[in-house]
Amino acid sequence: MDIIKYNGNLEIAATDEMQLIKSFDKNNAEIKNDIISKWGVFENRNKSFVENKNIYIANGKVNQEYCFSFKIDELGLSDIGEYYFEGLDTFGLSFDSVTNEIKGIPVTAGEHKIKLVIKINDWGHGKLLLEKELTLLINPDPKSLWKNIPTPNDIEYFKPDSNQSFVKVESVQKSFFGENKFTKQILIAASQRGRSHAQEGRPRDDDFGLYYLKEHDWYIMTVADGAGSAKSSRKGSEIACRTVVEVCTSKINERISEFERHIKEFHSDKTDANRKCIRDSLWEILGNAVFLSVKKIEEEARGADRPIKDYSTTLIVSISKKFKFGWFVGAFWVGDGGIGIYDKNNQFVKVLGESDGGEYAGQTRFVTMAEITQPPELYRRLRFEIVDDFTALILMTDGITDPKFETDANLLKVDKWSELWNDLSKEVNFSYNNEDSAEQLLNWLDFWAPGNHDDRTIAILY
Amino acid sequence: MRRLPVYLLIDTSGSMRGEAIASVNVGLNALISCLRKDPQATESACISIITFDKEVNNVVPLTEIADIQLPEITTPESGPTHLGKALQLFCQKIDEEVVLSTKERKGDWMPILFIMTDGKPSDILLYREMIVEVKKRKLAAIIGCAAGLDAKPEYLKELTDNVISLDTTDSATFSQYFKWVSDVVGIGGRSMGATDTLTLPPPPSELHSII
Repeated sequence: MDIIKYNGNLEIAATDEMQLIKSFDKNNAEIKNDIISKWGVFENRNKSFVENKNIYIANGKVNQEYCFSFKIDELGLSDIGEYYFEGLDTFGLSFDSVTNEIKGIPVTAGEHKIKLVIKINDWGHGKLLLEKELTLLINPDPKSLWKNIPTPNDIEYFKPDSNQSFVKVESVQKSFFGENKFTKQILIAASQRGRSHAQEGRPRDDDFGLYYLKEHDWYIMTVADGAGSAKSSRKGSEIACRTVVEVCTSKINERISEFERHIKEFHSDKTDANRKCIRDSLWEILGNAVFLSVKKIEEEARGADRPIKDYSTTLIVSISKKFKFGWFVGAFWVGDGGIGIYDKNNQFVKVLGESDGGEYAGQTRFVTMAEITQPPELYRRLRFEIVDDFTALILMTDGITDPKFETDANLLKVDKWSELWNDLSKEVNFSYNNEDSAEQLLNWLDFWAPGNHDDRTIAILY
Repeated sequence: MRRLPVYLLIDTSGSMRGEAIASVNVGLNALISCLRKDPQATESACISIITFDKEVNNVVPLTEIADIQLPEITTPESGPTHLGKALQLFCQKIDEEVVLSTKERKGDWMPILFIMTDGKPSDILLYREMIVEVKKRKLAAIIGCAAGLDAKPEYLKELTDNVISLDTTDSATFSQYFKWVSDVVGIGGRSMGATDTLTLPPPPSELHSII
């Protein structure tokens, strides 16, 4: 192939420098100088172009629309004629010479070698080319990178990677007119190890507890999220949930008549004194449950000769009952996540407490922190509400609230709860006769949200 | 998206010239391609690289892993180690770039700071002033790396308890170090107590923790 053609007074063709020099010898000095100077300019330009130009081409993502507008002018070269890229088609891209865009949908991830080819104007029939090898990086689809490594079952404090529970309740109450009135409720919960844990074969740190206290028709629900940064937190969340259910059960049994009387009195006369009576009952029931949970965790930590911090966990608890006048819900909440009474028909939500967050993502408070079990702090975190009816009472860990609500402000918005409920209802059939709802709930927990791959736990009364 | 901001401060003083800086470049490339394969990192980690010699330069502004294109990091012929000035730029950047939580906005994960030097700060007065400033800012971890026999870890110790020492500045040692950096980045972005810092994974045996 010709490396150079000169179309001056004489036509000279050469394939290498030697041949060129031979041609010069035969021809006059003027043309010779002309060619040499042009050759020199070309070579210098070529050289500096290849060595110094840092050509930026944006990275792409596999299976995602890619479009990069290439601005040849920014290279600072003069006399640029036609230019194009070679090698794009091997991974699904192409160059549009009209719009100067590299575009398409990349099909393979990797560091793809491509070549930029530039023809220089007015230089021998367009045969002279500047070439530069470039790398166009296509990132893999994050979804394809996740691994699901089972948790080794010989680790300390082993816990299955997922868990679910389903409780069907039918209670009978005599109505005012002496007829039997049936209350039909379902209690479900599901907990799934997060992808970030599955990736490393680490166990689930979340836990939950559900109990229907048949004798007195009370519902007890709890969810807990062991701290990702604490190595035995899965045991902390487990102890907390188990203890909460045990203590709430025994304390409700113990104080049932006084507690329910306080609720009824408050309902008919909403005075501060009556409100305080309920809060004092909650203190006896929920306060004790929380306090004893921490004691049990402390015992475990002492036995294992570890700091209690290793067992750090958040905790959300609710106790509820349907009275003739409506639902009573009492709650305690420390940490992130959320608890709310959601009424779809009336577009109403009551969030029972406040999320504990810090300046940065992931910062929160744990029930195992000394300040939480200080009486004024613990008392402050007790909440209750009486509502006519509800669609669902929902308790969630931050593996769900982070992707579904994002901010503390959104957690108070009924629209966000409706979105959550609609989303849930697509996969979970919340009718009384469906006995697969816990299984469906567990499947729902697998939803995809970029950047949100924490353990997810949810408990619902409906 | 909640980002995990990771700041890498890299010594480019004259003494780093040659094999050392070449090894750093190899190590950084390995770090980024390792993080690209980590789904957790690709969806959260953002990297910023600040080099320091006589000048300080934010050669890679805080960028998502997927979008990063590493430049070749070079060193001048000779020159001082202005680590104090680098910390000053770091403080300015972190204040500008890192998003804190509010009721209406989810904040970033707590940032991580890595500092690598093969000597000691030449601007010692400014360095000590900046230690105070850095400590005012909440970081998940500050990790100092004293690379090679001439490095003076005692200066890094003034800034952080986590100081790693590398016996040599060859590419095998740096690749071990940057592999460990990717492990540390991997555990950033986990829930923790409001006053806690990160518990670091143990470094490989080739790297020594300075106590």
